Amino acid sequence: MEPALLVQGLAVPFGSGPGLREVTFDVAAGERFVVLGASGAGKTSLLRALAGLSPVTDGTIAVAGPAIYLHQTPVLFPHLTVYENVAFPLRIRGRPQAEIDGRVRAALASVHMGGFAPRMPRTLSGGQTHRVALARAVVARPALLLLDEPLASLDPTLREDMRRTILGLQADWDGAMVIVTHDLDEMSALADRVAVLLDRRIAQIASPAELLSRPASLAVARFLGHMNEMRVSGDAVAVFPPTAVRPQANGFHARVSGLRVRVRGTTAVLAVEGAEIEMSVDPFQPPEIGDELTVGLDPRGVVTFRDAQNVETPSVPISSTRIVS
Amino acid sequence: MGRRVTLAALVISAVAPLMLLGLWSVGDRWFFPALIPPTFTTDSWRAMLTGQLGAAAVVSGVVALATAVLSCALAMPIGHAVARLSGWRRHMASALAFLPVAAPPIALGLGLQYTFVALDVSGTIVGVIAAHVVPATGFLAIYFSGVFTALDPRIEDEARSLGATPIQVWTRITIPIVRRHIGDALALGFLVSWAQVPLTLVIGGGIVRTLPLAVYDYLRAGETRYAATGALLLTVPPILALLAARRERVAPL
Repeated sequence: MEPALLVQGLAVPFGSGPGLREVTFDVAAGERFVVLGASGAGKTSLLRALAGLSPVTDGTIAVAGPAIYLHQTPVLFPHLTVYENVAFPLRIRGRPQAEIDGRVRAALASVHMGGFAPRMPRTLSGGQTHRVALARAVVARPALLLLDEPLASLDPTLREDMRRTILGLQADWDGAMVIVTHDLDEMSALADRVAVLLDRRIAQIASPAELLSRPASLAVARFLGHMNEMRVSGDAVAVFPPTAVRPQANGFHARVSGLRVRVRGTTAVLAVEGAEIEMSVDPFQPPEIGDELTVGLDPRGVVTFRDAQNVETPSVPISSTRIVS
Repeated sequence: MGRRVTLAALVISAVAPLMLLGLWSVGDRWFFPALIPPTFTTDSWRAMLTGQLGAAAVVSGVVALATAVLSCALAMPIGHAVARLSGWRRHMASALAFLPVAAPPIALGLGLQYTFVALDVSGTIVGVIAAHVVPATGFLAIYFSGVFTALDPRIEDEARSLGATPIQVWTRITIPIVRRHIGDALALGFLVSWAQVPLTLVIGGGIVRTLPLAVYDYLRAGETRYAATGALLLTVPPILALLAARRERVAPL
């Protein structure tokens, strides 16, 4: 099956540096492909280049049909009603009024904005503006929708609402989406596959689960954050999430030096042989600071790297190796 | 109290010259030290409807209208381009756009004259319109660069991304959004031309007789009544433009 988007060897200038290099990936029809990168990594420049709004210096972009780019803070046309905003892509294509009417009403209904058709954009809230912009983007059924940090400018309650709206869009539209974000939650909620943009190149392409459990390099692991990092035997560095640290009768001796309460879970900070690691704990029954524990590692959650490359996954608990810190 | 005095001084300074012009335009055999004209006549006002004064007003109106439309059409894309630049490029482009305004009109006129003689449009209405368009475009380009700087560039980006051609972006998005500013720009372009004297003199060569030139001619000939009537007429478009601008400011969005 022909991909909705095929990008090969793309070079995109941005900022004052050399820009993105050798960007290669493909997106299948109906797939949600997330480009994950830190602020300033060139995500927006890449997205704008895919939309034809920014120049490229090398490489090819092949899109199976029209591509539509949606800004991080989308703007509606201020002189047109909500209805006319959504109708715009169809009017410029000269579609008949009966078709426009049907498709505009269906698009507005799909983003739960059916009752807002006669309103002017200045009367809408930020979340409503986002939804109308989404309806306008998909009404012409583009082959590819390019979303620039679609949830970044929304507050947490609207974020969840918009996330559901984005996922629901593909129920009656089989186009592909490329979504750029720096947010891991956004990535894991929206992505079928993820490309991690690091050091002006794509460092890894994987499913969210694979990415989080098997980062391809130490740089990717560090970017994903919330990872414990310990130097083990030789030059190797072991990386593992707090969920891989478990109480274990014959493990390391550890002392609880602090607690970190986060939305995604509570962790205990453990001092282990001079190093500091985090362990997921029951938020309703956390250990006390100063408690003494013995802990080990679930080898399924541990990845080790030598020279910043993934060289092996230990098959034995890391407790049998020497921690260098 | 001080504020009232200031306001009264403002009203007198604005209205008194117009009232004097009004008296001059109808005063007959009015000489010093008479405070008001001994007799009145409306012959200069009748001349406005039928005579040379009226013809000059029509020429001025046609030239100013054409100048307004042409300079607006030229200045909009120039102002848009300037607004989308940044740093030294924007500074240079702004300076270039403003050059025809900053240059002394007589120097500009002489520069244009050589070209217009070669094009055989010197001494014609077309030549005068073309000459007026040069400074008017400079004024309006600066005006539009301000308007388009205030227009969020993402709006046009969004239209392009949705598949609009450059012409569709202009006709369906940009122009409708700034349509009120286009009205202001047309008025500004009209006024730049309406009051223009040096360029009309140099390019028109005395053949194209606009209202300001007619006023000069009447003054030089000692026809004060006709000069005053023409001068009063010259103030009508600026006053209308000011009233329109005031109405626009208080009108609901």
